[in-house]
Amino acid sequence: MAAIVDVKDVHKSYGSNEVLKGIDLEVQEGEVVVMIGPSGSGKSTFLRTLNHLEDTDSGKIVINGWDVSDSKTNIDKTRETIGMVFQHFNLFPHLTVLENMTLAPVELGKYSKDEAEAKALELLDRVGLRDKADVKPTTLSGGQKQRVAIARALEMNPKIMLFDEPTSALDPEMVGDVLQVMKDLAKDGMTMIVVTHEMGFAKQVADRVVFFADGLINEQGKPEDVFNHPQHERTKDFLDKVLNA
Amino acid sequence: MNKWLKSILTLIVLMFGMFVGGTTSFAADKPHYTIATDTTYPPFEFQDKDGEYRGIDMDMLKAISKEEGFTYTLKPMSFNAGVQAIQAGQVDGLLAGMSITPEREKSFDFSVPYYKTGVVIAVNGKDKDNKSLDDLKGKKVAVKTGTAGAQYAQSIAKEYDLKLSFFNDSNTMYNDVKVGNTVAAFEDQPVMAYAINQGTDMNIITKPVNTGGYGFGVKKGANAELLKSFDKGYDKLVKSGEYDKIVQNYLGDNSYNYKKNAANEAAAKPTIWNILKENKSALLDGLFKTIQLTLIGIILASIWGMLLAVMGVMPSKIMRGISTSIIYLFRGLPMLVLAFFIYIGLPNLTGSKIPAFTAGVITLVLNEGAYIASFVKGGFLSVDKGQLEAARSLGMPYGKAMRKVVMPQGIRLTIPSFINQFIITLKDTSILSAIGIIELTQTGTLIIARNLQGFRVWLIIGAMYLIVITLLTWLSNWMEKRIK
Repeated sequence: MAAIVDVKDVHKSYGSNEVLKGIDLEVQEGEVVVMIGPSGSGKSTFLRTLNHLEDTDSGKIVINGWDVSDSKTNIDKTRETIGMVFQHFNLFPHLTVLENMTLAPVELGKYSKDEAEAKALELLDRVGLRDKADVKPTTLSGGQKQRVAIARALEMNPKIMLFDEPTSALDPEMVGDVLQVMKDLAKDGMTMIVVTHEMGFAKQVADRVVFFADGLINEQGKPEDVFNHPQHERTKDFLDKVLNA
Repeated sequence: MNKWLKSILTLIVLMFGMFVGGTTSFAADKPHYTIATDTTYPPFEFQDKDGEYRGIDMDMLKAISKEEGFTYTLKPMSFNAGVQAIQAGQVDGLLAGMSITPEREKSFDFSVPYYKTGVVIAVNGKDKDNKSLDDLKGKKVAVKTGTAGAQYAQSIAKEYDLKLSFFNDSNTMYNDVKVGNTVAAFEDQPVMAYAINQGTDMNIITKPVNTGGYGFGVKKGANAELLKSFDKGYDKLVKSGEYDKIVQNYLGDNSYNYKKNAANEAAAKPTIWNILKENKSALLDGLFKTIQLTLIGIILASIWGMLLAVMGVMPSKIMRGISTSIIYLFRGLPMLVLAFFIYIGLPNLTGSKIPAFTAGVITLVLNEGAYIASFVKGGFLSVDKGQLEAARSLGMPYGKAMRKVVMPQGIRLTIPSFINQFIITLKDTSILSAIGIIELTQTGTLIIARNLQGFRVWLIIGAMYLIVITLLTWLSNWMEKRIK
């Protein structure tokens, strides 16, 4: 297995506030990494540095063989290989579900319109929303929106999927459908990095759990190890709070 | 990104090229001149009921042009605007009962004096208290901007403690005296005498002062050929007796009655219906010009405004800076100042004429464009930044992401503002009457100069604006629904 993500000593500050204080992380192909930790610990910021939605001050990030931290790298080409799913879905409200999915691949010349539509319908089928292909996103529920957003990211055939708190903005009864889609994706062997507060998902699906605190990776390991035998006080505290709440 | 930038710059250059390259040239073998005159200055110039310019100046010019073999386009505007248009090189000559004064000779070359004149003071015909200049001490008097009368009034204002009110045409000035806002008007003797002779109820209370002659004027050092033709032609007219015939036609016994001919029906029964009937073609022409200005203005202003808005959200600091500065500059300038600057100021600097219509369109584009730019930019900025992030995360370059995702949403948010701006533009075109474009408002001014029916004419003009704006609003609302 080759490392698909290789991060070395990444630092980032907003003014005098250092939010990433030296992050190292390697992710292997097919691995599902779940990042947990208190709010403000830097996990979302770190995820966003991986496809350069956030700048870094120093350190090196290589993903799918592209050096994201090098300003000479073609960031658009790099991003075509990275799927990103946002907390607030960010579907394009002026386009239909199908157009949301086909816009980028057709515009970028990856597929013809017909190919893109055929693939989109197939993916919508997979997330159980084929009948919604021609509606505008505003008519969908939160859970449906997020499943469309995942399908939209998959349409580009990414090598890795990044999820930034994908269920945090959902009503509780919608969470299950979205997590199911993500579980299926993991089963199919997709490399995934997921920032989430869904501890159940982490336990069940993650190959590795990474615990963030105060801009650093505090602890990481197999889910059963981290959840059952946390090594650090900070991890223990956090898990006590979220698991026994 | 560079391609995106380049294409925008090209478009900007093209837009300016369009305006600058828009001047037409006459390829006729006869020399052609643009000659300005006053809107109303009977008996020297006034519009008859068919909308044609008549009067001593006008008939004389026609005869001279025939004699000397040149053609001309007549540009009626307020006397003051005419003086400025000459200095800006926008027109070649000014024939508007202009007194030759030492002051004016500094910036004009004059023909031989063709009519004797002097400044007189006239009061309301019912006014029995003010019988001499001394009686006017400390009172408010009316003058016409830029005229010899105004100059004289200013020169004695201190001595007699006069408070001056400035007007752009004679009729408005007389009216001001008649309604009692001012006690007296300073006017050229022949014009005042003629107006009184024609039934204006006023009395001349002084002897003519600063006597001299009227001259045809061109910008100092320019158009020597035209001036020579004028002098030669005038000389021939005097010798052949035709000049006297022209003057007699307006001033002799049984002379051409300006008021009767100008507004005979309306004067008899000045109903709104009669005014409408009589001025139908003038009103429609004015309306057409207003709509033309509005449409061309709003379309070009939209393109220009959107370009500025796109520049205003670009990652390049220089582009954003340019956009912000242009918006700041043209939103801050009053439209009237901008119009005068482009029409009168710029040609002074560059030496090449800008037709009034083009100057008007440029004014609209720059002014309305700045407003459009700022609300479109606001529209772009109000699109959730997650939209751009999502598009970029899919691998779309910045330009594509903006064009396909952010801008369509931003524009949609601004549709109500566009409709609003459309209506504002229509109304703002009335400001362009100041640079001599005969649109709806200027049409109203010209009709009133003839028939003196201010209340009814402005009622008609106002109603016409309202009707057009109502139609435009319906059309816009219909389009808005279709887009949604």
